[in-house]
Amino acid sequence: MNDVPAIRLSGLTRRMGNQLVLRGVDLEVAAGRLVVLRGGNGAGKTTLLKVLATRLRPTGGSAQLFGHDVLKEAAEVRSRIGLLSVMGGSYPVLSARENLHIAADLSGKDRQGVEGLLDLVGLSSAADKFVRTYSSGMKKRLGLARLMLIDPDLWLLDEPYAALDDAGKRLVDEVVSGARQRGRTLLMASHESDRDALRPDAVLQLDDGRLKLAPEAAA
Amino acid sequence: MNDLRVVLAVARKDLLHELRSRAATVATLFFSAVTLVMMAFALGREQHVLTAAAPGVLWVALTFAGVIAAAQNFQADLEEGAFEQLLLYPVPRAAIFLGKLLANWLYLTVLGLLLTPVAIMLYGAQAGTGAWYVILAALVLGTLGLATIATFYAGLTANLQAREALLPVLMFPIIVPVLLGAVRTTEAVLGRSELDLAGGWLQMLAGFDLVYFVVCTALFHFVVDE
Repeated sequence: MNDVPAIRLSGLTRRMGNQLVLRGVDLEVAAGRLVVLRGGNGAGKTTLLKVLATRLRPTGGSAQLFGHDVLKEAAEVRSRIGLLSVMGGSYPVLSARENLHIAADLSGKDRQGVEGLLDLVGLSSAADKFVRTYSSGMKKRLGLARLMLIDPDLWLLDEPYAALDDAGKRLVDEVVSGARQRGRTLLMASHESDRDALRPDAVLQLDDGRLKLAPEAAA
Repeated sequence: MNDLRVVLAVARKDLLHELRSRAATVATLFFSAVTLVMMAFALGREQHVLTAAAPGVLWVALTFAGVIAAAQNFQADLEEGAFEQLLLYPVPRAAIFLGKLLANWLYLTVLGLLLTPVAIMLYGAQAGTGAWYVILAALVLGTLGLATIATFYAGLTANLQAREALLPVLMFPIIVPVLLGAVRTTEAVLGRSELDLAGGWLQMLAGFDLVYFVVCTALFHFVVDE
């Protein structure tokens, strides 16, 4: 059994311009856990996820994923993470199928899994349409399919329920449950931590760049 | 995973994207055609003036086309956060750069192959026997240098607000040796019967290409990572 935590943050700070967005965040998450991150707009949730995804450098403190430092061992970190971003991350004039083929090629996965994933996220009938014709919810479904295709050890989810209808939200619940059953670690920034199907291991509140246990979880 | 597979995947993706959107194609073809035609009118009817100007006009058109194509290449990626997603894959930054470079290089080479006969006909230049190999070599090496610098600086300025203004300002001073080599090689074979001079210019062009290729590939991760 590996005792190295999936996430270990120590005094993590991040400055954006003149503003200190993360102010000494300490966190340790064991592998296989689901942690939900809550907080108002501008609280620093996306910034924290981007630091963990190696897209933003910490200003101070340290961040390690599976024992790898996000600054010094970024390549090792990237081989174990996947991010579902708010932007979607797809190429608008390519189809959903082509987008997933590119994801498979660049992550070293087999393209054969693509058709099953398109079916699973409900995009089979629109798989050959350009992504620019998709609604926000369909783009989110495509992002989920890409994350499932990569199936990283650590799933970083930024507002996965946003722009989705009820069926889409249930799909996220199922995908998250499936990932947990496969032993994946998940860090989710979401306002919907109270979903019955979610049952996170911890709900944390990010306020003004500081992390604490969410009030209802602490009660 | 195999880095060559990454290079080819990125290049294929960029070319497919351009094939579908035609964003760079429309702009570069229109700009290049207007440049060639307008300069032909502006230079007058004297054949020796037209012949002397043809290589310079051709490469100016290709240089500006290179700027537009490289800028458009990164812009397409930035639209819906796709470039950020690209940087999250566990692949070397150098492979991403080489993939984008390959796409831009192929694009510019094809554009050069289209524009060169047009320029030769429009400007009444003469290409001697055996000159076509040299012109082809100048096109391949010249567009490689152009694409290398353009791809690197387009990546550098992609996230900046004033990218359209900054890209040529940063790029043009660096591109001078490549442009000089390409223009001189083309000049040596178009109408001047100085084919033996072309070899030296081609060697210089290849030398600068090599330097730019190595430096830009090695430094690209500084451009895309914080």
